[in-house]
Amino acid sequence: MPERITHDDLMRFLDGELSPEEHARVQAALADSTELGRELAIFRAMKGRFQDLTFHPGSYHQSVWDEVNEHLTRPVGWILVVAGVVVWVAYGVYVFVASPTELWEKLAAGAVAIGMLVLLASVLWERYREWLTDPYRDIQR
Amino acid sequence: MQPDLERELIRKCKAGDARFYEPLVRAYEPSGLRLATGMLGNLDDARDALQDAFVKAYEALNRFDLRRPFGPWFFQILRNHCRDMLRSRQARFKLEALDERLEMRPADAEDGPERRRQRAAARDLLWRALERVGDEHREILVLKELQGLRYTEIAQILDIPEGTVASRLFHARRALRAALEGMGAEFAEVDTGA
Repeated sequence: MPERITHDDLMRFLDGELSPEEHARVQAALADSTELGRELAIFRAMKGRFQDLTFHPGSYHQSVWDEVNEHLTRPVGWILVVAGVVVWVAYGVYVFVASPTELWEKLAAGAVAIGMLVLLASVLWERYREWLTDPYRDIQR
Repeated sequence: MQPDLERELIRKCKAGDARFYEPLVRAYEPSGLRLATGMLGNLDDARDALQDAFVKAYEALNRFDLRRPFGPWFFQILRNHCRDMLRSRQARFKLEALDERLEMRPADAEDGPERRRQRAAARDLLWRALERVGDEHREILVLKELQGLRYTEIAQILDIPEGTVASRLFHARRALRAALEGMGAEFAEVDTGA
């Protein structure tokens, strides 16, 4: 390859990224060097092969919008559900505590409720730890 | 898509209205799918990557500079996501060259069966060569040859100086040539006419 023309110049020439002056300079070098011309021709031939790999518009798939939209709107639904549950639970606890029920009845009911929550949390934690160490978790069915 | 319209849609999305994201998704998904398929090698993984990238882009819209075009910014997110997928156990460059969904360009009506068979074989060869060149080379080849992007856009997406693009393209093309020749492709008879 002549000294004046670098591989980068050749790539820019091939991809139409040179200014008119630079383009003329490479063109002149190509006229002087069959080796350079052959190298360029090989790169051109490879570039041409990619034309058969171009997708034909509209022939390939259905839009991903529905799935994307689902992802975007789902968090809003969760926030509303969780906020509603928190408000209702807080109100229920307040009503229960403020009611004229005997203290031992409140303690017994509270123990049942707290016990169930602890059991639920422990089951969820156990499942999560199993999932973390599951060697097949990334395998798609 | 017109830049003004694009900016207006993004402004609405930033204000929290996801409905205005739909035209952007529909405008950029064909080229996004092309990029993801080129990087990941099959449509199923490419669709997953595309969905995730659109969601990530939406969540990051508040950091998006409205003076810049959406396309290169989104392709950068998509490219990074594809690379993450390739690094993780979730995906490899899995070839689907013979899958009908990847029948890239319809054959010319004038093409005979022999010509169509040759084109299919050439396409398959190129697809397998892309698998061999490795992730780094493949991504820049996909951006240039499948996406048809300019050097400035490629530099922005890959987050490299523009001056480096030509050099990386040269090495990628040389690697592709070696891969093609290693699989029996001939370049001896190419026309050297400028």
